[in-house]
Amino acid sequence: MVNKALLSTLPDDPRYLDASYNVQGPLPEEDRNLLSNLKPEERELAKQFWEAVKSDFRFNEYLRGCLNCGVCTSGCPAAKFYDFGPREMIQYMMRNEVDKIWEFVNKKVWACVQCYTCSMRCPFNNEIAGLIMLLREYAVKFALPSAKEVLAPYRRVLLTVITMGNQVTPDMIQPDAFPDWGPQAVEESKNMDVYRKAIPVDLLQRTDIGWHSSLQTAVEIMTIFIESGVLDSIKKIDKDLYDMIMDIYEERKQTLEEIKEKWKKGELKEEDLPDSWLEL
Amino acid sequence: MAQEKVLVIGAGPAGLSAARELTNLGVDVILVERESYLGGTPKKLKYSLLFPELRPASEVLDPLIKSVEENSNVKIYKESIVEGAKSEGNGFIVSIKDKNGKVTTEKVGAIIAASGFEHFDSRRKYEYGYGIIPNIYQISDVERMLSENKLVTTKGTPPKRVAILLCVGSRDATVGNTYCSRVCCAVSIKQAMEIKQRIPDAVVHIYYMDIRTYGLMEDKLYWKSQLEYRVGYIRGRISEFMRGPDDTVVIKGEDTMNLNRALVVPYDMVILANGMELGLGSKQVAKALGLEFEEHGFVKPLDPDRFPVLSTRKGVFLAGAITGPKTISDSITEGTAAAIKAYEYVTKGVWEEPVKVQVSSH
Repeated sequence: MVNKALLSTLPDDPRYLDASYNVQGPLPEEDRNLLSNLKPEERELAKQFWEAVKSDFRFNEYLRGCLNCGVCTSGCPAAKFYDFGPREMIQYMMRNEVDKIWEFVNKKVWACVQCYTCSMRCPFNNEIAGLIMLLREYAVKFALPSAKEVLAPYRRVLLTVITMGNQVTPDMIQPDAFPDWGPQAVEESKNMDVYRKAIPVDLLQRTDIGWHSSLQTAVEIMTIFIESGVLDSIKKIDKDLYDMIMDIYEERKQTLEEIKEKWKKGELKEEDLPDSWLEL
Repeated sequence: MAQEKVLVIGAGPAGLSAARELTNLGVDVILVERESYLGGTPKKLKYSLLFPELRPASEVLDPLIKSVEENSNVKIYKESIVEGAKSEGNGFIVSIKDKNGKVTTEKVGAIIAASGFEHFDSRRKYEYGYGIIPNIYQISDVERMLSENKLVTTKGTPPKRVAILLCVGSRDATVGNTYCSRVCCAVSIKQAMEIKQRIPDAVVHIYYMDIRTYGLMEDKLYWKSQLEYRVGYIRGRISEFMRGPDDTVVIKGEDTMNLNRALVVPYDMVILANGMELGLGSKQVAKALGLEFEEHGFVKPLDPDRFPVLSTRKGVFLAGAITGPKTISDSITEGTAAAIKAYEYVTKGVWEEPVKVQVSSH
């Protein structure tokens, strides 16, 4: 692993006297951080990933410095249960340890629950949870296998959020789906349709939707998701979901255009206008 | 030449030292103190032993107090504050208000502001639960408990397991104090040794980020506490405390010498090493005298390197913790320095302004 080009500088390098010199060579720490057990193409990807994160405009605002005090890790609920700690991540970032960051992103980063306790208590005012969010964002953008795996159970949630503006619909609350909601939620889920029917608000007497958005609103919501680049990041990581959402979008947009067209020509009476896209 | 007078604000180590030096030089002193006694914060909070020599605080302070109190050239206003200082010639007309609201005016040639610091109030770090969870104390509370020999938990028994957490309210941007308070490491280690002297079978752990027993204190405190008292040092800052069973305090921290190793440990007593802040008293003094503040909220000296005891207002001198966290010995030294500067000013009118010096590089 000795860099031949650096050998000529030997006499000036005090590390020459080090017994481990033959193994490590006179490499600066930054270069040594790139030495790892990663395969060459994976190392290249890891470097690209880290460069992309570092060049994000939020990175330098979020990462300020580290006193190595451990307040972040000791207040972290995820650190209690997993081999994960925010201080670990900050240290890798401060030292540019590409392969460690790569390892962190491919596994540990998904343990965070985004409670922001670390950010709130950090004596150096680092935006630690924001940095974790940044790593996750780029993991999705780079379509890393770990991101795929983690996001797989959330396909249905993503679909409802993007197409209907709802996150969780009542019928998602099933005994096995949210065990952390406790026995009460399981009990409630048995009679969900009865409860929903009792709601006096029109169109909420169903369990496949949380709240109702009109055709116009639904198209606007989807346009925002598309224009802000959310669907671009989904495209790489979940092509099927992307195609499905885009199909729905095109269809709705077309329907809306047609209705607008007809309305303009005076072919539609006011009572003929659809109250909800669900009725179409 | 009329008899010159100098106003000294604050009767702590710095103010007392300045007053003593001035009377030695033949200058009359008017001493204004907010409390009903002299001695400042060390007396107010009943400090036990002083670091690094482990000698009683009164051994250092009582001779100072005595020399000032018994001196007929020192006029002492107790339970009073300085309300304002109007410039007149090179001197000042100061108004001194006592606790009944009675205002007295005095004509003085110079002013030494030595009104000191206040301890950080740990209730501002709400996750530490100070004032809510029993058996959590600050170093400023423990000094009194030690000097009155009443170091006991709420159960009335001496603590068998004690944790001391450093840097509470210092080096912490979440409370806006990004400076180091300098003395808390030394005070905490001193308290750990005092606890071990009295309760030899107690377990004392100090939670630290860096131990700053700078200079000659390294072996007298940091090394000695390990060699002779077996005080334990754990590297990591505690992030929160919980009330445990039987009035114990459970700490949550990370042992930062090992990656991701969480610590959840019960203790009988927890001591927070709360830092130093300027405090309301000194802020009032700075406002009354028209002084400027520096970036950490302390009073700004004219030049921190060349004129550390001169203020930005002509004729006003600074001594002690009003310009930043200081030890008692530093404060006494600064009191002496401010006294000689004030003496030069009232007798010869010496007031140096920092000169801009052109340097070849930088």
